[in-house]
Amino acid sequence: MNQFRTIFHFEIRNYFKNKLFVGTTIGIMIFLAIVMFFPRIKSSLNTTDNGKSAQTATDNGNEDRKTMLIASDDPSLARSAEAAFTQAFPDYQLQVTDKGENEIRRQIKDGTAEAGFLLHSDTDYTYFVKNISLYDSNTATADAVLRTIAQTNALTDSGLSPAQAGSIISVTVTHNVEKTGKDQTKNFFYTYIMIFALYMVILLYGQMVSTSVATEKSSRAMELLITSADPVSMMFGKVLAACLAGLIQLSCIFGTAFLLFQITRGDWEENTVMMSVFDMPLYLLLYMLLFFILGFLIYAFLYGAVGSTVSRLEDINTAIMPITFLFVIAFIVVVTAMSRGNVDTTPVIVCSFIPFTSPMAMFTRIAMSTVPIYQIMISVAILVVSVAGVGVLAARIYRVGVLLYGNAPKPREILRMIRKH
Amino acid sequence: MQLELRELYKNFGQHEVLKGISLCAQSGHAVGLLGRNGAGKTTTIRILMNVFPADRGDILLDGKPVDYRKTRIGYLPEERGLYPKKIILDQLVYFAELKGMRRTDAVTATSQWLERLGMSKFRNKRLDTLSKGNQQKIQLITAVVHDPDIIILDEPFSGLDPVNAELLKEVVREEIEKGKVVLFSSHQMNYIEEFCNEIAILNGGKIVLSGNLREIRRAHAGNALSVRSPMQEDICRYYGSRASRMADGTVQIALPDPQDCQKEMCLITGRWPVEEIRIFEPSLQDIFVQYTRDQV
Repeated sequence: MNQFRTIFHFEIRNYFKNKLFVGTTIGIMIFLAIVMFFPRIKSSLNTTDNGKSAQTATDNGNEDRKTMLIASDDPSLARSAEAAFTQAFPDYQLQVTDKGENEIRRQIKDGTAEAGFLLHSDTDYTYFVKNISLYDSNTATADAVLRTIAQTNALTDSGLSPAQAGSIISVTVTHNVEKTGKDQTKNFFYTYIMIFALYMVILLYGQMVSTSVATEKSSRAMELLITSADPVSMMFGKVLAACLAGLIQLSCIFGTAFLLFQITRGDWEENTVMMSVFDMPLYLLLYMLLFFILGFLIYAFLYGAVGSTVSRLEDINTAIMPITFLFVIAFIVVVTAMSRGNVDTTPVIVCSFIPFTSPMAMFTRIAMSTVPIYQIMISVAILVVSVAGVGVLAARIYRVGVLLYGNAPKPREILRMIRKH
Repeated sequence: MQLELRELYKNFGQHEVLKGISLCAQSGHAVGLLGRNGAGKTTTIRILMNVFPADRGDILLDGKPVDYRKTRIGYLPEERGLYPKKIILDQLVYFAELKGMRRTDAVTATSQWLERLGMSKFRNKRLDTLSKGNQQKIQLITAVVHDPDIIILDEPFSGLDPVNAELLKEVVREEIEKGKVVLFSSHQMNYIEEFCNEIAILNGGKIVLSGNLREIRRAHAGNALSVRSPMQEDICRYYGSRASRMADGTVQIALPDPQDCQKEMCLITGRWPVEEIRIFEPSLQDIFVQYTRDQV
């Protein structure tokens, strides 16, 4: 126990003496501070420049906007479309042209105009654009605008006044939502941030454990260590110190973000994403803590064991690849399900019970769906038992691995040696 | 205090590494553990240090199995290595703590040893800023800082310049005088001859020769004569294959029967002018080569 304590203290001190570790943490905290205070900084700059820039902004307003051309053989359609398109495309400066298709093509080609609509009728048009962006929704907007025009025309043709037609088309529907489960529009962002933090921290720290063990072997400090300390204490001391360092780093980053949000809350009232991120419920933070610790331990034990089997630092990346791969698969399964908006798919449910994938998968299900409590308990129980099992196995591999030099042994050889020991 | 290794056996898979190693070491004495590469020295040391157990055999301290919680062992491994990027004082204190010292005691003892070896000015430097010889001295501190009962030194002098070698010799002598059990493994026979009263030569996982060094040398003396003469061409011709020229300019004449020693000396001195004639006493190197030439 004394040796464990000594190793744990030594390792944790090393993290806090590591300039890169401290520097990265402080750097992220400063970055967060800049982000959180950004609206305040921006508004104070605006206030200072207000007098000078207000007029200029108005003057430049029209010039800054991109040009959109509208052309039609039917002048009344062109007129009604111009009014409707001006409302529907506030980012564009609308320009009606009567010079036809070739003029639209020419202006778009030489960059004078960004986009153009040639309206054949109120239900048929051609859209002109140079490069169509992935996020170009102009046609969808134009469809909606023209549909309204067509409907209005149809209604007025059948004898209704334009006002009556307008009130029929723009009839508003009110609704209320009563949710009995989770609201994915709110929990998506914070779940994503937490899953990503879990992914980054487990991968980074797991690899740090692995590299640390391999460094001790390659620098031959291991010769002295194995004759001074029990390998199990060495392994557990190293892994738990990394776990605590990771937790402290996460706490610093998340703590800073929460604290700064409380200070700048008023500036973010209109930002639904930020508001939803920081409205994270406490129970979810506790679940994250639980799954972080268990997930971290299971992977760090594996990383430590694998690190003990390599003698040279350059072999470490190849050796840890299967573990990293396993973790990346879990991440992809979870993120794919999240982006589809349904985390109760069979792969995610299965993953939420497999110990190597459950820290992420079960956490995501808890955050974004309604999971029966017995399922959470089963998943956590499997994970806890697996962490203990992997810990024992890793300690045995470590005990054998640290004595091996030369080429990294094959898994079968390691198992044979473990049985012998 | 008496340390005894009794009939140690160890296999790694099909490979039989130790085949019944036995040796004994008394406090206040150094025992030289000799053997070619792969003879089983490191395995013996690791079993002695409880890194892994022997398949069979006992390690006894004063006749009782060693209690590793109470027995302090210091080890200077052949493969030197500490943390190159870490502060010297921090890592020395860490290793001392791992050996059971309290932090405050570890800091005090480490500082004293740094002072003793003239390394105090480097205490807050990183290890990799030191020369190889100075790194060796730092490594030596890890072996002795916790005042161990048993000290195992594996090739302690390799890579040291003559001045640092003298300093290390002084430290080893002091530790022996303090009554420590010292196990000394080296291929540099002159150091073994200088420090060790007892030796054990390992070959192919077995002890092929062990005992008091002086007695061993005496036992191996007498089966040859060493002659220096201006007529050594004639002497060599006379003795044929029994005579061999040595690098120091003498002729060594093998005696089939050591009893003939006096008779042969009279014969040689009567027949040729002789500057020097004596019974040949082999060096430890000669004995080592003789016993380990045919490695199993």
